[in-house]
Amino acid sequence: MGTLLELTNVHSYYGHIHALKGVSLHVNEGEIVTLIGSNGAGKSTTLRTISGMIHPKEGKVELAGENISNLDAHRIVTKGVGHVPEGRGIFPKLTVQENLDMGAYTVNDQKTIKDRMELVYQTFPRLKERVAQYGGTLSGGEQQMLAIGRGLMLNPRILMLDEPSMGLAPVLVDLIFDTIKKLNEQGTTILLVEQNALMALSIANRGYVLQTGSIVLTDDAAKLKKNEMVQKTYLGIE
Amino acid sequence: MNTFFSDLYKKANTGFWPVVIAFAFLVVGTISVYLNPRSLFAFLTLLTTPVILYFMKIDTKVKVFIGLLLLIVILPVLGIRNIFYLEVIFQMAVFSALALGLNIVIGMAGLLDLGYVAFYAVGAYAWAIFGSKQMSLLHSIPGAAPANAEFFLDARWFWLFIFLGVGLAALMGILLGLPVLRVKGDYLAIVTLGFGEVIRVLALNLDKPLNLTNGPQGITPIQRPPLPGVVQALGNALTPLVGHVPTEAEIYNVFFYFLALIIIGIAIVVATRLEDSRIGRAWTAIREDETAAIAMGIPLVKMKLAAFAAGASFAGAMGAVYAANRTFVSPETFSFQVSIGVLTMVILGGLGSIPGVIFGASAVTLLNIQILQNFSLYLSDLRQSDAVIPIINFPWKNLSNQLDPAKYQKLVFGLILILMMIFRPSGLIPAARRQRELGDEKEAE
Amino acid sequence: MKQIAANPVYKFLLFPVGQIILFALGASVILSLVTVLLAYLFKSNFIDFDLVERIMLILPQVIINGLTIGFVYSTIALGYTMVYGVLEFINFSHSEIFMVGGIVGIQLMAYFEHTGALATMNEYLVIALAIVLALIVSGSLAVIVERTAYKPLRGAPKLVPLISAIGMSFFLQDLVRLILSLTTGEFNVILPKFGTYDEFWKLAVPGMEDPLRIQIKSALIVGIAILMLVILNFLVNGTKVGKAIRAVAQDRPSASLMGINVNQIISITFLIGGALGGAAGVLFALKATKLDPFSGFFPGLKAFTSAVLGGIGNLTGALLGGLVLGLLESFAASYLGIFTNGAFGAEYKDIFAFAILIVVLIFRPSGLLGQTVGQKA
Repeated sequence: MGTLLELTNVHSYYGHIHALKGVSLHVNEGEIVTLIGSNGAGKSTTLRTISGMIHPKEGKVELAGENISNLDAHRIVTKGVGHVPEGRGIFPKLTVQENLDMGAYTVNDQKTIKDRMELVYQTFPRLKERVAQYGGTLSGGEQQMLAIGRGLMLNPRILMLDEPSMGLAPVLVDLIFDTIKKLNEQGTTILLVEQNALMALSIANRGYVLQTGSIVLTDDAAKLKKNEMVQKTYLGIE
Repeated sequence: MNTFFSDLYKKANTGFWPVVIAFAFLVVGTISVYLNPRSLFAFLTLLTTPVILYFMKIDTKVKVFIGLLLLIVILPVLGIRNIFYLEVIFQMAVFSALALGLNIVIGMAGLLDLGYVAFYAVGAYAWAIFGSKQMSLLHSIPGAAPANAEFFLDARWFWLFIFLGVGLAALMGILLGLPVLRVKGDYLAIVTLGFGEVIRVLALNLDKPLNLTNGPQGITPIQRPPLPGVVQALGNALTPLVGHVPTEAEIYNVFFYFLALIIIGIAIVVATRLEDSRIGRAWTAIREDETAAIAMGIPLVKMKLAAFAAGASFAGAMGAVYAANRTFVSPETFSFQVSIGVLTMVILGGLGSIPGVIFGASAVTLLNIQILQNFSLYLSDLRQSDAVIPIINFPWKNLSNQLDPAKYQKLVFGLILILMMIFRPSGLIPAARRQRELGDEKEAE
Repeated sequence: MKQIAANPVYKFLLFPVGQIILFALGASVILSLVTVLLAYLFKSNFIDFDLVERIMLILPQVIINGLTIGFVYSTIALGYTMVYGVLEFINFSHSEIFMVGGIVGIQLMAYFEHTGALATMNEYLVIALAIVLALIVSGSLAVIVERTAYKPLRGAPKLVPLISAIGMSFFLQDLVRLILSLTTGEFNVILPKFGTYDEFWKLAVPGMEDPLRIQIKSALIVGIAILMLVILNFLVNGTKVGKAIRAVAQDRPSASLMGINVNQIISITFLIGGALGGAAGVLFALKATKLDPFSGFFPGLKAFTSAVLGGIGNLTGALLGGLVLGLLESFAASYLGIFTNGAFGAEYKDIFAFAILIVVLIFRPSGLLGQTVGQKA
């Protein structure tokens, strides 16, 4: 399996704040990789740098060997990078169906769009019941499903999920994680950012630990789970 | 090249050099204007002096001395020799006061007021209506004034009307502000713009049912305050310096110039005091983040009203002075263009920066009534000549006489506003604080 | 029900047209009723003539005038509201984009007159060509303005682009004046006389002595405006680009994550808004018959007022706001003089709009159809 996504020594800034200080990581095709770390460690910034919402000042981001560091976000989408942002980013005044349409904005074939939408509805039957409802009127869990579904409409080579469990009831969290696992089994590569490190490490193949903008630790997910530092800091095990 | 100049500047800005340079500009400027009163170049040289005073390292006492010498002695004397310059300087003073007022509203409190001229109009019309014969003409049609009409008030009431102008304008500011200050910032721009137009349209149309404003023809004559004997005597004492006995009109011009200076002086003191006061800090908070300001317990509407009223009051006072100076007011003086003109001055100089807005007001006024005019005259000279534009071989004679730069003030204002916003949003002489806020990135890095 | 709603003919033709007619009729009827009611109340103050009768006499004409100008306002207001929806800023220079459209249209007709073609051409073809040219010129101008004066300021504090827009408005006024002056030696442009659209249709109305006179021009303006509104509705609600515009307006970062080129969509928004404004300029020119580089100012401000009146950012609101404002203005211009016995008259109609704006902002800051904008205070 080849390397799909690779970051080499990436430095990113928010204004004058040095948010990423030389992050290097890679995601192989077909993997689930998770980034864990506390608030402000740079997890979301890493995803935002990959999807082109901010450009790295130094270092490079490569997708299947192609340097995408300086492409604009909308161009990177066309390369097959899906990004479900923190806070979901649903369009509140578009209907569920229109939101999904937007997910396939770069797809021109109507048949493909229709098939993928069917697939999304199969995965999240709840969305099908809400087709004509405005995105803003959905519950938190439904919005998360919509956000992930919208990400799937792109049929991305890699889907990046930012805090998909945030603010959800435990039952829904399980559903979301099951879905992620299923998607991965169907062939989608996943880069997952999670506060809930335990759940993330349970479904991931590998993991990276971020602290104040640098990667301090990386290993197989199973080993990370047993790592003393990880247990203490992120899993709440003394 | 660049380092060469900055090195040179650094060298010139040490020791006694700045004083020498400032004096050189002062003396050379004074002498050349004295000898050649029509030269724009000489005038500009003289006006460079205060800029040098501001930027170079000079002992404060020396700065004050040179500044006062220029403002109190040199400019009036030169102004009497060439009355046009005194007019230019008077206008600079008027617009500086207006810009200082607007600066409180937009620069300090961050409220975009596009109808600022309305407050100026209120002050001007207040004295115009009561300091002319207009009150005796309420029932006559514009243009058909009976010859025996009387002045309504004695000319000495003018002094009271300066303060009334302040009060009326502040009151108008509050009355307008009460309903509209609750709305979002960008709505405020439109509402104030509308208010400015309302005042102008009222001035234009309130010649019926009662003839209050005399409609589009405007009100004239408006009385000037009687000058005390001292002023007259002082004027006469200047005879040897000026070269002739100053006429009453000339003495009045000097008088109005000083009056404007005093108002500016007060405006500067008030603005500086306000900036460092609790109110000033509250304005800063509102400007930066309204929600946070509310959370800190700042009474939002009250503070905004204070800014509106304070800003308006300067315009009100200047309005009364302007009406007396011109002895004539008409609605045209108070068009939207003037509001934008004052805005341009504030933006060019630097939002929130007191020296900045005075510089901006002076520069824009000078540009408007001197440089563009001169350029127009130059072009019309060229049109009369047989010269051709080189390369494209186009005779100047054929140039449309519609191309009259003096008439294209809006173009100039517009360009200044756009370019400043894109390249230097904090102005030419930025306020220390604002520079960070508006993020002149290139400089910050 | 769902079936009907999904039918494109209903969704993109019947529904919008029905809505427009409903708004126009509703606003006309309500204002007429209020006016007549007032007339009855104050009837006793007027001894020389019957107030109610005098008011009824000109009522149809007042309504037609109000609707005509109202549709023009609506069309301009859409430009303001679209840009506001996407960028949250008042595009001050939209009034100049509108003015440029009108002047370009008139200049084209003047050109046809100059070449002698005007006399032989079909008058409606002339108007159509003028509108098409205005659409293109104003739309492109709006995009150029956006690219040069607004795009570099994205992300700056809100006052910054606003001031730049004010500057652009002034700049364009004098630029157009300069260009006109240098090329024609004159900066007033006058609509050449042609065709028969100035004439009146006379409709006999039962119960009235005089027939109802409808100027063909008015009908033409209203018809073209409705056509454009329908097209716009289709563009925004029925096409991919329209959906992208709405997505960008709602959440710019998310939109870019969908692969939407946000800058391009913003430019397209300016293009559509500007083109509509340009077309409205030609319609306005047909009515005003004379334009100069400064004649965009008042209609522009009133159109903005319409947008706020309807609820800024809301397309349907802009339509309703424009109609209401046009009617109010027409009623005020015609009746204020009668009611106040000549003390106040049509000269106040320009500031009437602002009075309404202030009242709306006090009592209903989010506009008639309300949306998003209200402020927490």
